[in-house]
Amino acid sequence: MADHDPDSDSTPRTLLRRVLDTADPRTPRRPRSARAGAQRRALLETASSRRSSSQTKMTTRRHSHGARSISRSAYVQASGHLKEQTPRTLLKNILLTAPESSILMPKSVVKPVPAPQVVQPSRRESSLGSLELQLPELEPPTTLAPGLLAPGRRKQRLRLSMFQQGVPDFPLCLLPLTSSLNLTFATPLQPQSVQRPGLARRPPARRAVDVGAFLQDLRDTSLAPPNIVLEDTQPFSQPTVGCSPRVYRSPPCMPHTGAEDTELAAGCKKRSSGPGMQTNSPEKPAQFLAGEAEEVDAFALDFLSTSSGVSGEDGVEPLQDGVEEAEKRMEEEGVSVSEMEATGAQGPSRAEEPEGHTEVTEAEESQGTAEAKGPGASSGDEDASDRAARPELVSSTPESLQARRHHQFLEPDPPPGAAVLSSEPAEPLLVRRPPRPGTTGPRPQQDPHKAGLSHYVKFFSFYAKMPMERKALEMVEKCLDKYFQHLCDDLEVFAAHAGRKTVKPEDVELLMRRQGLVTDQVSLHVLVERYLPLEYRQLLIPCASSGNSVFPAQ
Amino acid sequence: MALSTTVSQRKQIKRKAPRGFLKRVFKRQKPQLRLEKSGDLLVHLSCLLFVHRLAEESRTNACENKCGVINKEHVLAAAKSFVE
Repeated sequence: MADHDPDSDSTPRTLLRRVLDTADPRTPRRPRSARAGAQRRALLETASSRRSSSQTKMTTRRHSHGARSISRSAYVQASGHLKEQTPRTLLKNILLTAPESSILMPKSVVKPVPAPQVVQPSRRESSLGSLELQLPELEPPTTLAPGLLAPGRRKQRLRLSMFQQGVPDFPLCLLPLTSSLNLTFATPLQPQSVQRPGLARRPPARRAVDVGAFLQDLRDTSLAPPNIVLEDTQPFSQPTVGCSPRVYRSPPCMPHTGAEDTELAAGCKKRSSGPGMQTNSPEKPAQFLAGEAEEVDAFALDFLSTSSGVSGEDGVEPLQDGVEEAEKRMEEEGVSVSEMEATGAQGPSRAEEPEGHTEVTEAEESQGTAEAKGPGASSGDEDASDRAARPELVSSTPESLQARRHHQFLEPDPPPGAAVLSSEPAEPLLVRRPPRPGTTGPRPQQDPHKAGLSHYVKFFSFYAKMPMERKALEMVEKCLDKYFQHLCDDLEVFAAHAGRKTVKPEDVELLMRRQGLVTDQVSLHVLVERYLPLEYRQLLIPCASSGNSVFPAQ
Repeated sequence: MALSTTVSQRKQIKRKAPRGFLKRVFKRQKPQLRLEKSGDLLVHLSCLLFVHRLAEESRTNACENKCGVINKEHVLAAAKSFVE
C-alpha cells in the first residue's frame, strides 16, 4: 500500500518528503512528462477552482521537482487532505495507494497529474468511491495515480494498466478517470476537457482494454482468418459446417419453423442430413441401398470417411428429422423447381446424400440436391420398402404430392439409366427446365398458397413458444384457410353495405372491431404500431410532414 | 416531400407481409371485388392477430392438459372457441 500515513503531519512538505523517499524507478519520460505534467497541471489549475492553498503549494513544488515529484506531490496532496474526508481527499488517498507498476507500460510516464485535485469534485467523488473498493488490491503507485487522474492527455498510454488489472470491473463512468483509462489504447478522449471540464462528455462506459490481451488477440486473429461458413456453395465439403447446422437444426426438429430462411434451412438440412445419412446407410443397407447398392455404398463410405465424427452421435435423429422436415417443406415449398427439388431431396434422400456428395462438383446447392434426389428417388422407387418407409416417416405428407415429385424425378432417370453418374446430367437438365406440364397441374396452385400460409404458420409456432406437432401445424393451416374465407366474405358484406365494390381499409377496420381487436380503448393505429413494421406503419397511419402535406394522402 | 408509397428495395423488412399472396387469395375468393392499396396490410394485421390469439389459446389448452407439445386437439379446441 502506499506509504502515506494518515497520522503524519499534513503539511505538503512532509508529505512530499515521504513521497520522494519512495522513488519510482520507472519514469523514462520524466522530462517530457514533467513538462507535460506542468502544462497539464497549469491547465487543470486554471480550470479547477483552486481548491486549496496547499494545492497551489503543491503545484509549485511539483514544478520544481519534476515528473516524479509532481506525481508524488499529487499523492502528497491527497494524503494531506485525508483528514478532511472530502471526496477529493478520498480520491487522493486512493491515488496514493494505487498500484505503482504497470506491466504494460514501458513509458508509464508520470504524467504528473496537475492538481490531482481533480477537475470535478463530483466526479472524483464517484470515482473515489469506486476506487476505494479496489484499494486493497492496488499497490502503491507513485506515478500512476496522478497519471490516471490527469484528464485529457493522450500521451498517457498505458497508465491505466494497473487499474486495468486491479480494477477489472471499474465502472468507468467517471469522466476524468475514464478519459485517462481509455487513453491507453482507445482513441484519446476529451483533450479539451481540461479547459472545460463541465462541457466534457462522458466517454462511453466501457471496460478498459488490457493491452497484452488485446495485442495477443490481434495477433491471433490476424494469423487465423475467420472461418467463413459458405453454406450455399459447398454443401458437403466441410463436416464442421454440417455440425453447426445440425446443432441448430435438432432443437427445432419438431417445429419446422426453426429455419426461417427456406434456402438456408434446405442447405443446412441437406448437409446435416448428409452426414447423418451416411451413418444410417450402413445401418439400413437393405432398405436404402437396394436400388443402387454399389454406388450408394461407395458414396456412403466416402461420406463416412469424411464426416464420420460429425454425424456419429445423432445419426438417426437428424436423418428422420431431415426426412420429416423435408417432407414438411415439400408441402410448403414454393413453386420453383429448384426449391421443390431441394426440399423433395430431403424427403426421399437417404441414399442420395452420398450421391449428392459426388455432385458437389456442381457447386450449386439446388442442383446438388436435385441430383441427389433424382437418383435417390429412383432408387427409392425401385425399392418398395423404401417407398413405404418414406410415407411412414412423414405421416403428414400428402402422398400424391410426394409421388408426383418422385415421379417427376424418376422420369429423367430411366432414360439415362440407373447409374448414378448418368443420372447426374439428367438432374441438372431437370432443374433448369420448367416443371413438366403433366405433373405440375395442381402444384402451382396449391404450393404458393401453402407457401403463403406457411408464413403465418411460422408466426403461429413463434407465438406458441412451445414445440408443436406436425399435425397441429396442418390444423393451423386449415384454420387459416377458413379464416381467410370468412374474412373475404365479411369484407364483401361490409363493402356492399357501404355501396362500394372496392374493399377499403375502413371495411377491414370494421371487421377488426367486430372481432373485438379494435375497441374504444384500443384503436387501429395502436395495433398497427404494435404489430406491423415501420414501413407498413408509414403507409397506414397518416403522418404530417413539412409543407403542409400529409402522407398517405387522405 | 411525401414519402414514397413503396419501400425501397434495399430495405430489408423483417416480418414482411405477403402482399402478393394476400391479394391473390382475395382475388380468388372474390373476383368481383377489388382490394385497396393498404387494405391488404390491414388484412395481414388481422391475420397476425388471429394467429396470435390462436397460438395463445392453443398454448393454454396444451398447458391445461399438461402436455409439453401442442397437439392437434389443442389447436382444434382453440379454433372452435374462435368460431363466432
